[in-house]
Amino acid sequence: MSTRVVGQPHPIIDAVEKVSGATIFINDLELPGALTGLALRSPHPHARILNLDTSAAERLAGVAVVLSKNNTPNAPFGINHKDEAAFCREKARYVGDEVAAVAAADEETAREALSLIRVDYEVLPTVADPFAAQEPNAPLVHDSVTGNIANEFHIKRGEIDEAFDAADAAFADEFHTHLAHQAYIEPTGCAAQWHPGGKISVWGCLQSVFLIRTFMLGPAMGMSPDDFRVTQTKPGGAFGGKLDVKAALMAAMLSRAAEKPVRFMMSLEEDLIAMRPRMPVHISLESAWKRDGTLAGKRVRIVAENGAYSSLSPAIMSSIALRTDNLYKTPAAEIQGKLVYTNIIPSGQMRGFGNVQATYAWESHLDNVADSLGLDPAELRLKNYTEKGDVSLHGWKIASCAVADATRYVVEEMDWKAKRARGGKGRGVGLASCIHVSGNKGFSVELGPDDTDPSSGVVRVDEEGKVEIWSGESDLGQGATSVMAYIASEVMGIPVERFRVPPTDTGYMPFGMGAFASRITLIGGNAVKLAAEDARRNLLDAAAEFMEIPADELEIVEGEVRAKALPERKMSVGEVVRRAGSVIEGNGKWLAGGDVLDKEKYGNPSTTYSFSTHGAEVEVDMETGVVTILGICCGHDPGRVINRLGAEGQVEGGAVQGMSFAMMEGLAPLEGHLRGKNFHDYLIATSMDAPPIEHDFFESMDPYGPYGAKGLAEVAINPITAAICNAIYHATGGARIRTLPVSPERVLEAIEEARK
Amino acid sequence: MSAYKINLCVNGKDETLDVQGDETLLRALRRIGYVEVKLSCEGGDCGACAVLLDGVAVNACLMFAAQADGSEITTVRGIGTEDDLHPVQEQLIEKGGVQCGFCTPGIVVSAKVLLDENPEPTREDIQRGLAGNLCRCTGYKKIFEAVSAAARQVNEGDGS
Repeated sequence: MSTRVVGQPHPIIDAVEKVSGATIFINDLELPGALTGLALRSPHPHARILNLDTSAAERLAGVAVVLSKNNTPNAPFGINHKDEAAFCREKARYVGDEVAAVAAADEETAREALSLIRVDYEVLPTVADPFAAQEPNAPLVHDSVTGNIANEFHIKRGEIDEAFDAADAAFADEFHTHLAHQAYIEPTGCAAQWHPGGKISVWGCLQSVFLIRTFMLGPAMGMSPDDFRVTQTKPGGAFGGKLDVKAALMAAMLSRAAEKPVRFMMSLEEDLIAMRPRMPVHISLESAWKRDGTLAGKRVRIVAENGAYSSLSPAIMSSIALRTDNLYKTPAAEIQGKLVYTNIIPSGQMRGFGNVQATYAWESHLDNVADSLGLDPAELRLKNYTEKGDVSLHGWKIASCAVADATRYVVEEMDWKAKRARGGKGRGVGLASCIHVSGNKGFSVELGPDDTDPSSGVVRVDEEGKVEIWSGESDLGQGATSVMAYIASEVMGIPVERFRVPPTDTGYMPFGMGAFASRITLIGGNAVKLAAEDARRNLLDAAAEFMEIPADELEIVEGEVRAKALPERKMSVGEVVRRAGSVIEGNGKWLAGGDVLDKEKYGNPSTTYSFSTHGAEVEVDMETGVVTILGICCGHDPGRVINRLGAEGQVEGGAVQGMSFAMMEGLAPLEGHLRGKNFHDYLIATSMDAPPIEHDFFESMDPYGPYGAKGLAEVAINPITAAICNAIYHATGGARIRTLPVSPERVLEAIEEARK
Repeated sequence: MSAYKINLCVNGKDETLDVQGDETLLRALRRIGYVEVKLSCEGGDCGACAVLLDGVAVNACLMFAAQADGSEITTVRGIGTEDDLHPVQEQLIEKGGVQCGFCTPGIVVSAKVLLDENPEPTREDIQRGLAGNLCRCTGYKKIFEAVSAAARQVNEGDGS
């Protein structure tokens, strides 16, 4: 289908306000009369609270309220397990756990009040190691949870034992990933205003304004989700971390108690120790093969570090366990997962939702297998990739797939064959692939209203001919709402410049689940496309009456309704709206495809799936172990590119964020205490680290996507870690990085191991 | 902590304000409404609070407001606003060098100083010029392209 807007490169629609510093982020929001809210956080990884005395803080002039277990009801909440409360009750379970919170006239007073709160702790043994945590005599993070096991499962699919028995070869490996923060530059914050009558307005840098009411604010505050009006402020980056935001609860509770507006802004240090960083995981893999490189089966055992509270972690563990089985034709698999409580910051979702970790492990393992079988790693993958029309071992229905094209592009572009022939001398190339969902039905059940994974949109044309789109989804800075504007512009024949998409607001916008699981372009985009088609029909019907020409003989071009046969007979859309006497509107709703998985985790969780292949070229100093990334090359299948500039930005940003995760990041917990407290000890990639990146798109034209598009955000990050590790393996003649991040010490150790 | 009365000229506007001795320039500027200067790490790591102090790029979080007494401060909005964008800002838009926009005010400040000092920067010059500004969204590539294009635009004389 030829398109006018879709597929072209466009600046994001709010670029002008962003480059001129006019965007209002949460910390810039003025709330007259607002108090400053701050939290007192546990300094201990694990401690019983023997006594908590807030009386001195309450007496301090300028303090409005002090909240703690002493004066708040015990209202546990949590997505999978109700294991969390607004404030520590009998115990603090990680360094950063909220023990109390104050609201005071200004920050100085609030800080002084925190210093006046007296807590008598009985320090308990720290549960830091997820393996020791399972020992019979290990201390318990939650007294009622024996063995510290938050969740576990064991699935067998296909003839797995026979597959291993009949295999020509079998291989085993182990991999370990680290605790890494989303490290958005904007520290998290929220503000709240209690209204007489019991309603509360909340503002914040949130990924889902609708869902935070149902999974956190309502249950934790004993109120109905409808009692909250939640408005998004544009997030200064989120990457999964701003889905589950306790700052919203702190602000709302303080505001309700003080009956005044409250701003609750976290410092960067608080953000680094008390949000929900990417889950560390320990993965053991075994795979069975035929001599020609055909995959026969695999066994996976996972121990995932849940941290102190579980939130979405069970779903993340599932994602890690099953995801890569769907990228290749996998005849049989056995999967065991254990999610273990520890006294470390609760882990959670970061861009990839476990798939970064899973892909790192499996795709590293594949290169070991290729080496052992004497096959080219790209050829091994090309032999086994899933294809359009396949139903995977776990029931995933592959509606579109261009992963093989992406891999062939990377091979060609990197001069793979020539470079592979020259490995082992300190320079090498590697690649890795991934599959990812575009929305996930599981979320709809765990977080949403039902099993429909819905999105809805409203498109409103005003008397100036300007168009506003209301969608319940959210822009996190990745340009999601710009994608909606381009889709609606394409449908409506109205120039992109006339579109505006305000931040999400539960007060007047239609329901949407929000930004996660790479769901917005597909699910939100389809809803907005339907709304735009409805608005276009309504505009043409109104114009037909005024112009006395049947609607089907009219079209909209450049914001004007024209008679197809007589283009000089025309009215601007603004004039149509003025003559109609009110805003002309269109509505759309789209329900995702796929199923909720059954108890055995079988089913098709997403409407469709996206793919990518990343390649890396590295230089390794064999004496020092220092790795230099010389270049990255990526091929992506996002179905169809809606905004070329935005899509390129996702790919480049994802690749560098992934490289940063692989090479330098880590909160580095030691007995429950985190090392990373600011950007000088939690390192992320700077401009000096950014390698050259080449990339291209392979458009599989998905049958369900708006104009054929599906998700891109997460396939942009998943494979790069393994691609880099595989390049290191090639460069060094077999040094395999089994524990992240890649440090010179680990590279040297791996070189030593390879020489043995 | 003692209070000081200080005078600043911010984006051409004279401001007189009382500051505490330990109040950073970042916090003082934000308090009187210059919220385009972004608060993040408050440790000189991220560059989101970069401003020009008498023409020199500084992290506003790393100095006390009292130390800036008598100085001319330029924020991103002193470099260009919606109706009158600087070539760096225009090219960040055109090349896609902005996503969430939180680091962008600091990037604009650093890039402007870079171009003032080095009208024809190489990729490596740009990498060095922006080394103090963290961006988590873009992977930097499009920012580099924008600064290169802005240099060409300035040199061709169609910029401000």
